[in-house]
Amino acid sequence: MTAITWNDQQPIFRQLKEKVIELIIDGEVSDGEAVPSVRQVAADYQINPLTVSKAYQELVDESILEKRRGLGMFVTESAREKLLSTEKTHFLEVEWPKILERIERLGLSIQILVNDQQKKNEEQ
Amino acid sequence: MTTLIQAKNLSKSYGTHQALKSVDFSVERGRIVGLVGPNGAGKTTVLKAILGLTSYEGELKVLGLDPNRQRHEIMQKVSFIADVAVLPRWLKVSNALEFVTEVHPNFNLERAKHFLAKTNIPMSAKVKELSKGMVAQLHLALVMSIEAELLVLDEPTLGLDILYRKEFYNQLLAEFFDEGRSILVTTHQIEEIENLLTDLIFIRDGKIVLNDSMDKVSENYIEVMVSKDDAEKAEALNPVMQRDVFGRKVYLFEGVSREELEPLGELHSPSVADLFVAKMKEGK
Repeated sequence: MTAITWNDQQPIFRQLKEKVIELIIDGEVSDGEAVPSVRQVAADYQINPLTVSKAYQELVDESILEKRRGLGMFVTESAREKLLSTEKTHFLEVEWPKILERIERLGLSIQILVNDQQKKNEEQ
Repeated sequence: MTTLIQAKNLSKSYGTHQALKSVDFSVERGRIVGLVGPNGAGKTTVLKAILGLTSYEGELKVLGLDPNRQRHEIMQKVSFIADVAVLPRWLKVSNALEFVTEVHPNFNLERAKHFLAKTNIPMSAKVKELSKGMVAQLHLALVMSIEAELLVLDEPTLGLDILYRKEFYNQLLAEFFDEGRSILVTTHQIEEIENLLTDLIFIRDGKIVLNDSMDKVSENYIEVMVSKDDAEKAEALNPVMQRDVFGRKVYLFEGVSREELEPLGELHSPSVADLFVAKMKEGK
């Protein structure tokens, strides 16, 4: 995993969890692939192993990771699909309404933006 | 046994100076506990008492044993790196390994060799030929190879550069620490270990002024950056400390709920360093 800078607004286990989710969505860690051990992550980021366990446990509870006895922790087979669908729902229900509001506040409309984009695409 | 260290009314005086004033604390198995305090606050006295290196008053049990009377038994299960740790300059690395093998029944020589093989330290080198960082690596290799239930670290990374300091804690987590052991560590470089700790103890003038799990600490202490207009509202909630940042005020609250603070601004967890400063100034 790549370097993480922690912020002080969220507990570290939650930030670590978000990071793992990001890696799965970006395809850096694939479905069915192993994730680094708790000990490894703790040593790499100099964080307490309990913090790592907590992050992993929440992902297990959400069926994103699964424990395989004696082998370690793995990404579940449908993890990416599941995460994408959650992210899509989140985008449509939470983020998109805010963007829409801003578009309208700026005196734009979806139609104008779509036409604009089409024109740009044709020019290319 | 889940409690590795139990101290009750632990006191220590040097002449008329009371270094420890009836201190209570405990260290459970599987925890990494940070003991933090300014110079002269009593940290080293606590560690010395645990290791049976000084007499004390009050109750103290380490792995169920009494450090005043059972130091020998304790030494078989406890490892220690002191800030003043010195190895004889003329000693060869191989001699150091032989020596510990001789004197310590729980020393695993193969493990020590395995650790040293990962460093640039040659077996034939003498201590005086090693850099300060390498001496620390050698110490760590020796100490991690002792099957200890409790590891006591007194300023273990003092004087080391950042690469060695990171490597030190990396090794400790990758190769030594597990849920069967505990680590008690004192350091002035708190920011380096704050994410590593499960528990935090602040000591000031021989008294414990904070003693909680890190989870509790982040629940209990919240920092809020407040605009000038809301300063009065914030002050009404009795912050324990305030400082100015870019013309705005940052308040630190103890035991005030997130719900009460949320309307004032963005909530942050204070760094252990900021919390330390606040606790050391409190009431002064």
